[in-house]
Amino acid sequence: MANEIVLKMVDITKEFPGVKALSHVNFEARSGELLALMGENGAGKSTLMKVLSGVWPYPTYTGDIYVNGEKRTFSGTRQAEEAGIAIIYQELNLIPEMTVAENIFLDRQFTDAMGRIDWVRLNHETKLLLDELGIRDFKPTDKVSSITVGKQQMVEIAKALSKKARILVLDEPTSALTDKEVADLFRIIRKLKADGVCMCYISHKMEEIQQVADRIVVLRDGQTIGDVTPIAEITMDQIISRMVGRDIKDMFPKRVAKRGRKILEVRDLEVDHPTLPHEKRVKKTSFTAYEGEILGISGLMGAGRTELVGGIFGAYPGQSRGEVLLDGKKLTIRSPRDAIDNGIALLTEDRKALGLFLSEPISFNTTISSLETVSSKLLGVINHARERELVTDYVKRLGVKTPSIDTVIGTLSGGNQQKVILGKWLNSKPKVFILDEPTRGIDIGAKVEIYKLLHSLAEEGVAVIVISSELPEVLGISDRILVMAEGRIVSEFNRDTATKEAIMEYATGSAKGGDSK
Amino acid sequence: MTNSGLVSFMKKNATLIALIVLALGMGIADDSFFTARNLSNLARQVTIIGIIAVGMTMVILIAGIDLSVGSVAGLAAVVVTILMQNDINVWISIVVTLSLVGVVIGGWNGFWIAHYKIPAFIITLGMLTIARGLALTISDGSAVPVTDTTFPLIGGAYIPPLISVVLIAGVFGLVLFSTLRSAMRVRAIGGQVDKVQIITNLILAGAGAALALYMFGSYNGIPVPVAIFAVIAGAGIYVLGQTRFGRRLYALGGNEDAARLSGIDVYRTKVIVYIVVSVLSALAGILLASRLNGASPNLGTMFELDAIASVVIGGTSLAGGSGTIGGTVIGALIIGVLNNGMSLLGVSAFYQLIIKGFIIILAVWFDVLQKRK
Repeated sequence: MANEIVLKMVDITKEFPGVKALSHVNFEARSGELLALMGENGAGKSTLMKVLSGVWPYPTYTGDIYVNGEKRTFSGTRQAEEAGIAIIYQELNLIPEMTVAENIFLDRQFTDAMGRIDWVRLNHETKLLLDELGIRDFKPTDKVSSITVGKQQMVEIAKALSKKARILVLDEPTSALTDKEVADLFRIIRKLKADGVCMCYISHKMEEIQQVADRIVVLRDGQTIGDVTPIAEITMDQIISRMVGRDIKDMFPKRVAKRGRKILEVRDLEVDHPTLPHEKRVKKTSFTAYEGEILGISGLMGAGRTELVGGIFGAYPGQSRGEVLLDGKKLTIRSPRDAIDNGIALLTEDRKALGLFLSEPISFNTTISSLETVSSKLLGVINHARERELVTDYVKRLGVKTPSIDTVIGTLSGGNQQKVILGKWLNSKPKVFILDEPTRGIDIGAKVEIYKLLHSLAEEGVAVIVISSELPEVLGISDRILVMAEGRIVSEFNRDTATKEAIMEYATGSAKGGDSK
Repeated sequence: MTNSGLVSFMKKNATLIALIVLALGMGIADDSFFTARNLSNLARQVTIIGIIAVGMTMVILIAGIDLSVGSVAGLAAVVVTILMQNDINVWISIVVTLSLVGVVIGGWNGFWIAHYKIPAFIITLGMLTIARGLALTISDGSAVPVTDTTFPLIGGAYIPPLISVVLIAGVFGLVLFSTLRSAMRVRAIGGQVDKVQIITNLILAGAGAALALYMFGSYNGIPVPVAIFAVIAGAGIYVLGQTRFGRRLYALGGNEDAARLSGIDVYRTKVIVYIVVSVLSALAGILLASRLNGASPNLGTMFELDAIASVVIGGTSLAGGSGTIGGTVIGALIIGVLNNGMSLLGVSAFYQLIIKGFIIILAVWFDVLQKRK
């Protein structure tokens, strides 16, 4: 196989309001190889791939893209597809109620002169495609909703190949797959390599990279670190140091943990799967949190971390069971309101969908969960002067960069939006403050400010619980770390004993035989 | 005022400007439009739809819809008149109707929508025919006359001119006082004051008061239904702008998941809103029966369309989360001016429907254009 360079991205820069997502990125990829794109969350990998596949069309970025040596500017995903570039996202884009064949040939069905769909041909062509990939686990006529996520991913790959894709981007393809499905996926990847397809593969998982990657390139803070390097010529430690780069210790303010009383105790918490009966997202999980302590919760995506804290917060009424004790007293939490009234706050992972009222001003967003603090008891009449005073205080204290507290929150940068949400929860005066991925999609400066704030909260005696997928972050801020995998807490570490490797082993389930608890 | 300032000012107050232009146009086209008598009548015609539209604003604000308002008004009219026929005291009849028709139907609608998460469109569409069917059933399909002598006064009487003048002056004073006080408080804690908007608001309030004095002072005083509508609209504006409950509606319509996770009781809030709109619809039906001195089971047919049109023309987004009752009042007035003006001009009822339809589409199109920017 002639491994010529089929893709080259030169000097790519992409800015979002307030954040430089990519800055002068360079890399190239060859046919018949799998190029691993590595980097922490927010390093710019997905943004880079979106530029490549036309999701961010020219000229919303600067720089040049060369496909097969030819300079290309895509004005949309369609042009990118025509150039042979396909991207498969973490969240699959299939229509669940249609069959495998219908999904693969969506909008390109074979029809006769009357516009009627030629089902025989549709299913036959799909069959050929699946055979070519060596897929025998499902049929062209199976409904997509009836097959597992792993198989759906293969449908996506088949769909991309049916469009004659020669450059395939896989964005964390294994995050929701079982071991068996991962093995199947790798088999297909090897086959595609042999056929000369070029693949760009985004992943955090080191073992996977070692198994399937030919070369790797690392992104950090929107920049490529080092050159594209053959996997044989680089050690895992070198990759990590490229990914993390800066001395992490400087980012996280030093402090001496003063663990106080036991404040939160969770016993046998269970959370149902939202759609599959009998499946559990969280399986009988127990843990405790202490005043003045920062408790980190680590784990891979889909490990059940978000569901665990959501279950405590009453976010899934009727779908969670178990006991939550605060200060030794058993609580009945039927809704987020109950949790808030008892002094528990939850900053959600998905800021836009679950946290913000985008078209409302900062003041509205700050007081919405604790309107009692700015209104009369009986009739609930808002005291606007008091509200302005309070919100102005939070904006100052948290360093929100905004012209006014009347500014619509949707116009602020991610970091500033997050600070407003922090203010909203601080105003509910929590005893237990749970933060789910609080620094996702936020620039470094704002991250450091948030770490400092969490420290000062712990200092004041609040029990802080932080979920984070970024290992350096969990290691840097936590006094104690819980590791979750497949709906369970599988391990617990103290600040002194925790290492990246040990956490990763438990999170990926490669530490077989056990439970260190 | 700079050029761009003027543009943004025009945009902010577009519906109001449209109302003024429309009214002036009607005035030029027909001399009798601006007579106190006609304006007073126009105001009274607007009240029925206006009262429903206040509740409809709240429903649409939380990204819901209530198609049953017209049928509920019709049912309420029939129920209240039948109760009085059976020698039940006027006031007791009204209270019973408001709770039996308004609270029960609103609670039922809200329960299905909030509890089973069935689209409001379907639940209230079902109620549209159920309530109409009930009205036809209990009236046996025929008109119900009113025998009571006090009842017609609610929809037909006037507040004496002298008291009217005092009331209008009082309301104007209150608006003046509260606007200035809130501006001063904002400034006291270092906030920014939109001077242009405040001055405009005060000028408008003054103009409104002057117009009201002309309309009602020189012609019999304020019609009672207009006073009721003013109180309800005022209360609605206050609740949306100044209370926790109002904030929750905006939050719920803006982002229901975020609202729930911010501790808002989504279920309860929805049920209350559907009860409010049903009670207001029942009240509108009662007022209509009073004005007509009787009820027919077909009363209120198609009211839902005028009510929704008022809300939408008034700038409330059907997607929820943004809108005001002030806007809705203007929207209702636009529809009122259209109906009244076109009738004065002798435009046939058929053409009126066509023109109204186009105006609704134009209003929504304008709204979409603005949002895109």
